[in-house]
Order: sequence, then structure tokens, then C-alpha cells
Amino acid sequence: MITGARLWVRLVALLVPGEEREEWVEEWDGELAAHGGSVRHAWGALFDAWYLRRDGWTMEGMLRDVRAAVTGLVRRPFFTALAGITLAVGIGANTAIYSVVDAVLLNPLPFPDSEALVSVNHTAPGINVPILPHSEATYLHYLENFTKLSAFAVFSDDNVNLVTGDEPQRIQGAVVTREFFDVLAVPPLLGRGFVQGDDLEGAEPVAVLGYGLWQQTFGGDRNVVGTVVEMDGVQRRVVGVMPEGFAFPNETALWIPRSIDPANAEIGSFGLLGIGRLAPGATVEGANAEMQELLLRFADAHPEEITREMMAQIDFHSDLKSLKDLYVSDVRQALWVLLGTVGFVLLIACANVANLFLVRAEGRQRELALRTALGASRADIVRFYLTESLTLALGGGLLGLGLAALGVQGLLRLAPAGLPRAPEIGMDGSVLLFTLAISVASGVVFGLFPVMGYARPDISGALKEGGRATTAGKERHRARSFLVVAQVALALVLLVGSGLMARSFLAMRSVDIGFQPDNRLVFRASLPSAEYPDAASVKEFHRALRERMAAVPGVLGAAQTSAVPLEDTKSASPMEPEDRPFGENEIGPLVNIRQVTPGYFDAMGIDLLEGRDLTEENGADGVRAVVISATLARQFWPGESAVGRRIRYQDADEAWEVVGVASDVKFEKVTDDPAPLAYFPMINGTSEKPVPTRQIAVVLHVGSDPMAFVSAARQALKDVDPRLPMVNPRTMDAVVHDAMASTSFTVLLLGIAAGIALLLGTVGIYGVISYVVSRRTQEIGVRMALGAPASVVLREVVGQGMALAGIGVAVGLVGAWAVSRVLTSLLFGVSPTDPLTYLGTAATLALVALAASWIPARRAALVDPVEALRAE
Amino acid sequence: MGAIRMTQVTALVLRAVATGHRYGFDIMEACGLPSGTVYPALRRMDKAGLLRSGWEAAEAAHAEGRPRRRTYTLAPSGREALGEADAKLAEVRRLLMDLGPTPVEEA
Repeated sequence: MITGARLWVRLVALLVPGEEREEWVEEWDGELAAHGGSVRHAWGALFDAWYLRRDGWTMEGMLRDVRAAVTGLVRRPFFTALAGITLAVGIGANTAIYSVVDAVLLNPLPFPDSEALVSVNHTAPGINVPILPHSEATYLHYLENFTKLSAFAVFSDDNVNLVTGDEPQRIQGAVVTREFFDVLAVPPLLGRGFVQGDDLEGAEPVAVLGYGLWQQTFGGDRNVVGTVVEMDGVQRRVVGVMPEGFAFPNETALWIPRSIDPANAEIGSFGLLGIGRLAPGATVEGANAEMQELLLRFADAHPEEITREMMAQIDFHSDLKSLKDLYVSDVRQALWVLLGTVGFVLLIACANVANLFLVRAEGRQRELALRTALGASRADIVRFYLTESLTLALGGGLLGLGLAALGVQGLLRLAPAGLPRAPEIGMDGSVLLFTLAISVASGVVFGLFPVMGYARPDISGALKEGGRATTAGKERHRARSFLVVAQVALALVLLVGSGLMARSFLAMRSVDIGFQPDNRLVFRASLPSAEYPDAASVKEFHRALRERMAAVPGVLGAAQTSAVPLEDTKSASPMEPEDRPFGENEIGPLVNIRQVTPGYFDAMGIDLLEGRDLTEENGADGVRAVVISATLARQFWPGESAVGRRIRYQDADEAWEVVGVASDVKFEKVTDDPAPLAYFPMINGTSEKPVPTRQIAVVLHVGSDPMAFVSAARQALKDVDPRLPMVNPRTMDAVVHDAMASTSFTVLLLGIAAGIALLLGTVGIYGVISYVVSRRTQEIGVRMALGAPASVVLREVVGQGMALAGIGVAVGLVGAWAVSRVLTSLLFGVSPTDPLTYLGTAATLALVALAASWIPARRAALVDPVEALRAE
Repeated sequence: MGAIRMTQVTALVLRAVATGHRYGFDIMEACGLPSGTVYPALRRMDKAGLLRSGWEAAEAAHAEGRPRRRTYTLAPSGREALGEADAKLAEVRRLLMDLGPTPVEEA
């Protein structure tokens, strides 16, 4: 009778090496029978069996296998190099992309307890505004009432002219509320952060320096704390220095406290981004619910500004979420797509190497049969194969790591400037672990293919000279065919993906951006409010600068604006046509705003469709005139002329007269639909409270290479105000190029991945067809000796290759159709199921497959029957 | 073959075999160790030549209606190893005695 204990022993016996197994079971049976066979006694059988198993797999034995594997690989340098490089490319590509994904998406933000950091803003999808930040009033309201946040702060970017010696420099700064450093929980390296009182109107102006700025401009002098430095014409006392690596929010090097007067807090101007730290025990969901509650209370308290109906209309609600999500949301999808893509490349590489191993295993039949005859068990042979494939995979992984290190350098050079957290990208422990894991995984994947077919070698067949037409051979052929089909299918998916991205890129390039980027030089400048305190002084500066720039030899047109098209500057406000005001709870469109000097449309090459340009007399302090975009004109006065109509904005009593209509330009992204846009004079606001434009971009239309005009333009700027730095001079072509950089980056990487996939797939088809031909040389020889024409042989062999490719293409088309929807948000002007891309890709792959089968087929057709028969 | 480390387990198992315990489970009970510890030790010493393994006579087993049992006996090198282990143990004991009685800690 088989008791539980004996059953257990038989189960455990599977671990025991085959040749010892029978005696082993007998021994345990004997003891159990003699001792009443309790399960308690039998338990140790597992450790006994495990001991015997391990004894066969000693360190020594493993090292011997590895040595044998290395020797075997070195003896076949061509095979080893081909397989190793294929793997290195696949693994290297994955490691490179993973190191980016790891740094940008997976690693926590570099702040203490960064999981508790949240972005505290609003959203209004109803008017297509994904992030709607704070006004001074909402900030104060939340600050006072939040219970689920332990700290809350708002900030905005601000560029600061810093004067330390003769040369002024422009520094990326941020204006932040007092709690800013508390939210991020980063203490200053020297001195202090901001404290209560720093933010009061009339307090001594202070600033905190970033580490880099402290090192470069102040030579790392510890006595800088307490000194007074001129920033934007204001004398500020340096109170602290932040530690190295701290540059939040935006490569920031300088922080200035924001003073908000509760009595005069702005209610409706939303430009301050909010961050917060969750209170202990609070969740993101809970805090967001509280924020929504507070937002509704805010609306109820300011019915003249905002009502619940208005909020419902534009779907305005709180949007409190993890800070990391906010930072990486733009690139998240592209990065995952890229990682998926290189994952496909690795699969194709594995399929190729598996194929190489299969072919090689074929040639080693006799060697294996010999080993088996000499007593090697199935497990021994599996172990031997896996040792070999793992050795190769780890070697490939090591090489891949080197390729990835180079690749990451290249990626960072190509990466769009807006790639968040780029400085954090590099090879760290988790990247190495990832590389190790995918190396081992690929080693097992391609190592198992030959094992499945060959671990049970057909001893008698293989040992006999020329034993080849076995049934196992058919099985192996099926395995190879499967691999080719898989390769073709995967390559097709990648080609379709990159084809769709390439078409998006072409569509972007052919978009009418509405202005002429060629032969335009642009640079930025910032007027300190201390030197230019009022509208009159700013206006005078703009007039003088325009005149001076226009006088530079070779300049065809010059103008200033708050921001050139495609520059990342957001400014928008609700407006309404004076002759048809919106109803009580109706909100007009959020109209984008730019300020321009006269001559801007000419200098930028924007067509004026109707009316005229602005003049020097126009402005909030003079004659109120505005030029609007064609889209805004259509929205306010559909089917009618807009010129001569008036627009209400800010102050209902001071409407602005439309004097011209300009053609639409892409002003934020190349892919945006045309949006309403109004061009105001450089002095905006109201007659009582004019708002002069001090952050400006200067546009020069020149006759030849724009960059050749940089020094002349710098001199011209100096002539007008020697203390103003010229910032970021570049061509308008470069601005357009940068705006498309993230798409061209994705296109390039997908293209490279698809190219590798195509190459590997081609090699795969060629390899299998060549192999089939070499195996059939004898048969083909016989048939040709019997009179079969070469053309029939040719057609047959090519047909075999094309059949495999055909199945692969069919599977790939279905796969691409299923997978391409993840690309939807990255595509522009092309549908994810674009038939042209699909058909073109399928045709390309078919052609490549044809070529890959043609070469071996030609060889088959040229077989000399006599030679073929004699070879046996 | 090759040297084998003399541990408490190997010494105990060797002594059990030396005192006439021939079968695996008997050795196990004599040592008071679990089978998962005793068996790997037996395999190791068998392989190293300290023990000699064989099978009891088939007739004896069949008479009792059960499978044969494997037997373990001491090989000459095993006897030697046991002698060395005993000598080492005596040496340790002598060293301990020389140190005198365990001192009583003062409060």
C-alpha cells in the first residue's frame, strides 16, 4: 500500500539525479517500512534529495560548464560575435531607455518624503485649460483653511537681472511665498530660508541664492550671506544659500519672497502655481476633496467674480495630485511607448539568437548524442545549454551596458530641452539590476528553444552518419518557422509605429504656422521696474530700441513683443464683444494675449488680413486699439468685419477698438488648433492702472544669416541701455525646431528601433531560408537531375520564404492595429489606423522578405545535381 | 573523495555508527537529530569514504514482508577520523580544565 509518506518520497524523488533515484527510493521505503512510516520521519527526504541534487550542481561543476561554454563560444567566433552583438544591441537599447524611464518616471523626486508632495492647482477642461493655477486671493483662502496639508505655497517663474560687476546677467529666478522651502522640506546650506515678515510690504528686500549661482558668481564665499546685491534695480540682502542640486521649480538659481497684501489681493488673475505637503495621515483624494469644498466656498464668497454656474460651465474644479505626476505627465506616454518599442526589439533579437542556436544545435546532434550515451541526463543537457546561452546573454548584456552608456549620452544630447529631470538620468543600481534581469531573461528565452527540441536527442539516428530526416527535425523546423513569423510580425508592428510617428512629423512640418521663421533673429530682455517705474519710461524705451534696432545695417524690420510664437509663455483673459455682451452666467472664450510694438506683424511675417497695424499712439495710456486673430474675429463677429468693433477686457468702461485682423499663428504648439488671440500695445491695462510690458522678446527681420547679427544687436541694445543683458539670442527657425523637438525625438528613436527590427527580421528570414536550402540540397539535386527546371525550384524556395513572411505580416498587421492606439496622443494629422502607413509597411516588409529568400533560392537553383549527389 | 570537515553532526553520526547503529533511521534516533540533517551527513561521509554502505540480506527483509534496508558501517578511515575527533575533544576538555572553574561574577 502506498502511504502518504511513501507518496511523498516518490514525489521528492524527482529531484534526485536519475541514476541514483531507484536505490534512493528503495532506501527510504525500507526505513519507513521498518519504522512505521510516519510522515514526520519522511520530511527529511526532501533535504536528502535536495542535497543529492545540489551535489551534482556544485560550484565546481558549474564553473566547469561555464568554462566549457566559453571555450565553445570562442571556438565559433562568427556565431558568437553575431549572437553577442545582436543581444548587445537589444539589451543596450533597453538599458538606455530604461535608465531614462527610471530617472524620470520611477525615481522619487529628490526631496525628503517626496511622496507627500502634491501639486495644488485647478483645472478647467471645459475651456481646454489643463492647469489653472492660483490668484493671490485663492492662495490666501486655501492657506487659511487647508487642514489636510501641513504646508502650502505658491510660486511663479521670474527672470532677474543680477548686477554684481560691470556685466549684468540674467538669472532664472522664482518668486515664492514664505512657506515654499518648508513645503519641499529642504533646509538652506547657509543662512536661512524665508520667514514671516520677509513677505510684508515695506520689509527689507531679501533673496536666497542657488548653489551654482553662489559658486559661479560669488566664488562660493560663505560671507555672501548678509551682503546686499542689486537685482532688477532693487537692493536685496542675501539671507541664505540652498544646497547643491536644489533648483526647484525650473532650474531655478534664485528665490525671492512674494509679498501679498491681503487687503488688495487679486481675485481673478490666475498665475501662481501651488505646491503642498500632505499632513500626516492625509491622502491625495482626501486633500483634493477638501480643496474642492474650499473652492466652492471661495466662489460663494465672491459671487461678483465667480459663480457655481460659471464653474460648471467650464468644468472648473480642484486638481490636487502627486507633484511627480504633474512634472512628468508630458513625457510619460512617449517614454513608455519607447520602452515598449525597445522591448520589441529585444524580443526580435532573442528570436534571432534562438534561431542561431537552433541551427547550431542541429550541427551538434552527434556531440549531444555522445554525451547522452555516456550517461548525461536530460537535466545535464538542459543545464549545459542554459549555461551556454546565459554566458552569451551576460556577455551580450555587459557589451549592451557599454552601448547604453554611450546611448544615454547621445539621448541626452538629442532630448528636447523640456525633458523633465534630465540631470538625474544615469546608470545606477536599479539600471544595472534591470540589465542583469533582462540579460538572464533573454538568455533563458533563447536558450530554451533548442533545449525543447534537442534535450532528448535521437541517439541512434544522430550517431549514424547522415541521419537527418527524422520527425524531430520537423518539430525543429516548425520552431524556426515560428520564430521567423514572430520576428516579421514584431518588426511590422514597430515599422507601423515609427511610420505613423514619421507621418505625424511630416504633417507637423507642413502645417501653416502663420508666420515666417526664416531670417529672423530673436532674443529676450527684461526691464527692471526700478529703472523703468512707469508706463511712460517703458514706452519710451520701446520706441528708442525699435528705432535703434531698425538702424542696424542689414535689418529689414524690428519690433518687440511680450513673447514670440511657440515660446512657452501663457497669458490669457476672458473678453467680450462690446456690442453683444455675454449673459449673466455665460463665460466668453479665454483669449490669449500678446503685447506688441508697431511693426511686429511685418517683422514676424504675419499677414494682416484686414485693417491696419498698431501705432505708437496706441496703448492703455493713449488711444486704445487692438489687433485680433482671425479665429477671435470669427468667434465674436461671425461672418462680419471685426474692424471698428470694440472689445471689453478688464475694465468695462474702457473698451478696445479692433483696428486690424491678423492671420492665425501657432503660438503655443505646432499641433494646436487655431485659438483666439489678441495683440495689445505694449502698455496694456487701464488708463488708471496702465500695465507696461517689461519682459520682452525682440524680433529682427534680417537679410541673411540671423546669427551673424547677434553682436550688432547686442551693441544696439547697449546703446539704449548698457545695463540690460541680451538673453538667449536664437533664430526663429530654432524656435520652431525646438517646438517640434519632442516629436522629432520620438520619431528618431522609433525610427532607429524600427530600423534595427527590420534588419534583424531580414537576417532571420535569410537565415532560415538559407538553412532550409542547405538541408535540401540533396533533394533539389535529385529533382533537377530528374528534369525539374531551375525556375520551379526558385519559385518553390522563394514561395516558402514568402509564406512565412506573409503569415508574419498578417499577424503583425493585426498586432499593429491593436497596439497603435497607445500612440494616439502622440500622433498629429494621421489616424492610428492610417491605411497608407499599414499597406506601405506591409509592402516594404514583403519586399525585404522577397530579397532575403531570393538569395538562397538562387543558390538552390544553381545546384549542380552531380555535385549535390556526390556530397552525400 | 577528499577531506571532510569534522562538525558536531558528523562526529555524532560517526559515533552512532561506531556504536553499532547500522540503519539510517536508527542512526537518526541515536543522534537525536532530524532525518533532514542526518541523511545529507551520511551521504557526505559515504562519498568521502568514512562510511561504507551496503544492503541487508534480501531474505531477512522478505521474511518480515518489507523492502531491504540500507546499512552503514564504519570504514577504517572513519575509525581514524573518529579517533582524531575524540583526541581533539580531550584536548579541548583539558584546556578548559586548566582554565579552572568558571568564576562567579561579583555583584
